[in-house]
Amino acid sequence: MAEIPEDRRLELLQGTLDMLILRTLQWGPQHGHGIGQAIRTQSDDLLRVETGSLYPALHRLEKRGWLKAEWGVSEANQKAKFYRLTPAGKAQLAREQDRWSLLVEAIGRVMKVAPAGEE
Amino acid sequence: MAPDRRAFDDEIRGHIAISVKERIERGEDPEAARLAAMKEFGNLLLTEESMQAVWRPRWVERALAFGQDIRVAMRSLQHARGLAATVALMLALGIGANAAVFSVVRQVLFRPLVNRDADRLVYVRQGAPGLGSKNTTFSMAEIRDLRAASTKLGAFGDFSTLDFTLVGFGEPRVVKAGVVSGSYFEVMGLKPVLGRLIGPADDGPKALPVAVLTHRFWSTALQRDASVIGKKVRLGSRVATVVGVLEPSLPYPADTELIANVIASPHHLGATMVEERTHRMTELFGRLAPGATVEEARAELEAAHAAMMRQHPEAYPASARTTLVVRPFSDQVTAPARKVLLMLLAAAGVVFAIACSNVANLILARTVRRESELSVRAALGAGRGALRRMLLAESLVLCGAGAFLGVLLAQPLVGLVSRFAARFSVRALDVAVDPSLLWVGTGLALVAAVALAYVPRLPSSHATASPRPAVAGLRITPGTGRRLQAFAVAQIALSFVLLCAAGILLAALVEMQHARTGYDLRQVLAVDVPLPIEAFGRKAVDFYEEATRRVEALPGVQRVAVSNFVPWRDAGIMGPGFRFTAEGYDKVAGEEDPHGRLRIVSPGFFAVLGVPLLAGRDFDADDRADHEAVVIVSESVARRLFPNGNALDHSLWWTDPYFGKPKPRRIVGIVADVDDENVVPGPALTIYHPLRQLPYGGRLFVHASTDPYALVAPVTKIIREMNADQPVERAATLADVRATVLAPERLNAFVLSGFAAVALLIAVVGVAGVLAFSVSARTREFGVRLALGSSRAQVVRQVLVEGAVIATVGIAAGSALGGALGRVAGPNHPEVRLLDWSLFGAAVVLMAAAVVASLWPAARASRVDVVQALRSE
Repeated sequence: MAEIPEDRRLELLQGTLDMLILRTLQWGPQHGHGIGQAIRTQSDDLLRVETGSLYPALHRLEKRGWLKAEWGVSEANQKAKFYRLTPAGKAQLAREQDRWSLLVEAIGRVMKVAPAGEE
Repeated sequence: MAPDRRAFDDEIRGHIAISVKERIERGEDPEAARLAAMKEFGNLLLTEESMQAVWRPRWVERALAFGQDIRVAMRSLQHARGLAATVALMLALGIGANAAVFSVVRQVLFRPLVNRDADRLVYVRQGAPGLGSKNTTFSMAEIRDLRAASTKLGAFGDFSTLDFTLVGFGEPRVVKAGVVSGSYFEVMGLKPVLGRLIGPADDGPKALPVAVLTHRFWSTALQRDASVIGKKVRLGSRVATVVGVLEPSLPYPADTELIANVIASPHHLGATMVEERTHRMTELFGRLAPGATVEEARAELEAAHAAMMRQHPEAYPASARTTLVVRPFSDQVTAPARKVLLMLLAAAGVVFAIACSNVANLILARTVRRESELSVRAALGAGRGALRRMLLAESLVLCGAGAFLGVLLAQPLVGLVSRFAARFSVRALDVAVDPSLLWVGTGLALVAAVALAYVPRLPSSHATASPRPAVAGLRITPGTGRRLQAFAVAQIALSFVLLCAAGILLAALVEMQHARTGYDLRQVLAVDVPLPIEAFGRKAVDFYEEATRRVEALPGVQRVAVSNFVPWRDAGIMGPGFRFTAEGYDKVAGEEDPHGRLRIVSPGFFAVLGVPLLAGRDFDADDRADHEAVVIVSESVARRLFPNGNALDHSLWWTDPYFGKPKPRRIVGIVADVDDENVVPGPALTIYHPLRQLPYGGRLFVHASTDPYALVAPVTKIIREMNADQPVERAATLADVRATVLAPERLNAFVLSGFAAVALLIAVVGVAGVLAFSVSARTREFGVRLALGSSRAQVVRQVLVEGAVIATVGIAAGSALGGALGRVAGPNHPEVRLLDWSLFGAAVVLMAAAVVASLWPAARASRVDVVQALRSE
């Protein structure tokens, strides 16, 4: 791939990119580059989304009806495609968020249990 | 995907431009910014490649997802190979039976006839139910009357069945032939495939004898030899020219091989044929006049028939209850088969239902076992739709395999079923394996697959909120248990009905096979050695007597006799018999003379066939034409007409108009009753004439002391030496003649027993499956019981009782159903009297099967490891 991740950079967990995209778009319409940048800055540079994954994901979400795309003009006066969250996308985001917190809790519990004999 | 592609290029250009601008704003050098943005973007080709997958149209995506589902299903079924094989096999049986039966039903009942405007064609039938004859056919005199009175039928065709000795195509043989007038083929609307058919020009005394071959005869006996046209063949005493070959069609009756014009049959020109009103041997067909309906034609012909009966009361005795039926030709061809085929279709449907319910059971049980797997999948985000799709994919794989095997299985079955159906409709003779097998198989598989995918309940949606891994193992809800048991009960009930029906047929078959015939069946060889009708007389007697002498000289031959009738094989050829009366016999006022069977035998006939002579003497060489007329009668004749037991030396005579002036004949002997018409013997009023006084034979009987079939070749040789053109055919022992006559009954019983056996097998698997499941779901319960001191025998008993309860409920439901069906079918089927027997038999078989099916789960229950079971939760 294009960039070798630096030491502390994280690989995205499978299936979480969709959630991140939906989450990012909660603040308003954004174009592909902007979404990638937002995820990067909001994760304090820990997560970097490669365009090779970002665009397929955007188009897939659009196809499922969770996003809607329109051509517009960026702040930098550049023609760009803007993605917006649909109501179905909002619902999906809520579902994924629930699932995510459950998963975190479940994994957290498992990891917190001290192995027997170490008590 | 060109528009997607272009838009995406724009999008990427935008992305890079924005990226470059941002970098420049941050103060990077424009050229370096561009390179960095490009680098950051990564490999454009790879990105586009992954976009292709997103841009695929929806159906491609669905198809791929479905393919994925199928692959997953196959993998998951590999872990349950036993179950998958059982399910596929059961579905194969259900689908195969249905596809085969349906294919035959379609072709027999719904395929159009080849006859031109077949719906305008009617069949006219005369019946005499009082004489036990559904179709007496017509005499020429009757046909003339009906023809004269009819305006609604534009044209009539007539067909008389007659056997001819055919010389000219290979070995001399007797062919099944028909004699028709010139209007026949025009009325039937049939065409030749070769040459021409018989037309009006072939009628009348000046015409030349001509013959048309049926397609079946031409293709089987003559290998479609086109050079037969114009060939001269000997038909009996005449020489006829073959003028054509009929298209593949239904010559009437079905086994007809050759059709000749009237002039080819001297018999048809004789006074008896032309004048005698009761000389009935001709079938009548009509084509409706333009605008006329079958109802109108029927009304008109019924009136004409009634007038005819009033005019000639002597030809229509009241006891015969002569009737006339006018019906569309297609009904005549298919009606007898309709009921049987629909019954067969129902039986196949029942098998399919049983198979499906059983498969549903197995799948239900499997789904319950997989509940934990399903809830894990649900927890990981599989929606209900996805789970359903997964189940559907699995059942599609199973049903697809079942359909594939089923269609393979159906192909040989089509032959079997059509042979079976050919008894009832000649149309079944040329049924072929056709594509309907495929689409019926596929259709049934789809129905089953969809039904099966909806049988299991999915984990409820709140499972998503509590992804508690279902470590608890099997937990069977009461609802599931009840559903399983209901399926098992339904299977037992349906199998019970089929078993009963099969039981009835088997009982009837056993009864027939074990009926005492009164003949020596094993050692008597019957051979057809027919002489042409014209050879009647002194010459015929000489011929048969010389044949008798020469065959008796063969080593291994005990004795030889001649008759005009091979028991059972020739049933019906003499019609319902002739009326007769006897000296001193006072009939009750209004009673008709009894009908007797006329048989012609040579001296020694009774000894050869092993029929005991009860009183008097056998015929001998002195019973000649110029001596006193004598007869031998069966015991029933003696008892019925001479209640005082003094039949010997009294006289009897035929009173049927067919015999002309009554001629008394003295009774010189009484023999035991033998019923040569019916395989289940009843009392038979039979009157035997000596061959020398009624010189018409045709059948040779050889009593062999060794293997009767070893004599076929030498006997044929002797007769061919006497006359090279003499047919010698159908040599068989009486035992084999009887077996052949019983073959359709056997086939009947065999087909239905097959269905019943399949149903039984499936039901046993079903009961075993339900119990096995119930046992494994209750491992803990059994463990507790055993821990609390239950003995293992008690546990076994409990499971067996559970199996017996399912069977009992099923049998009760089945007998209610079977009893109801029996009462509906009762009046038409004398076999239903065997219902009680078969009900009992079926109940015993099913109960035994249920107990056997419970044994294995019971054994498992008794082997439950107490400690393991208690720890399991």
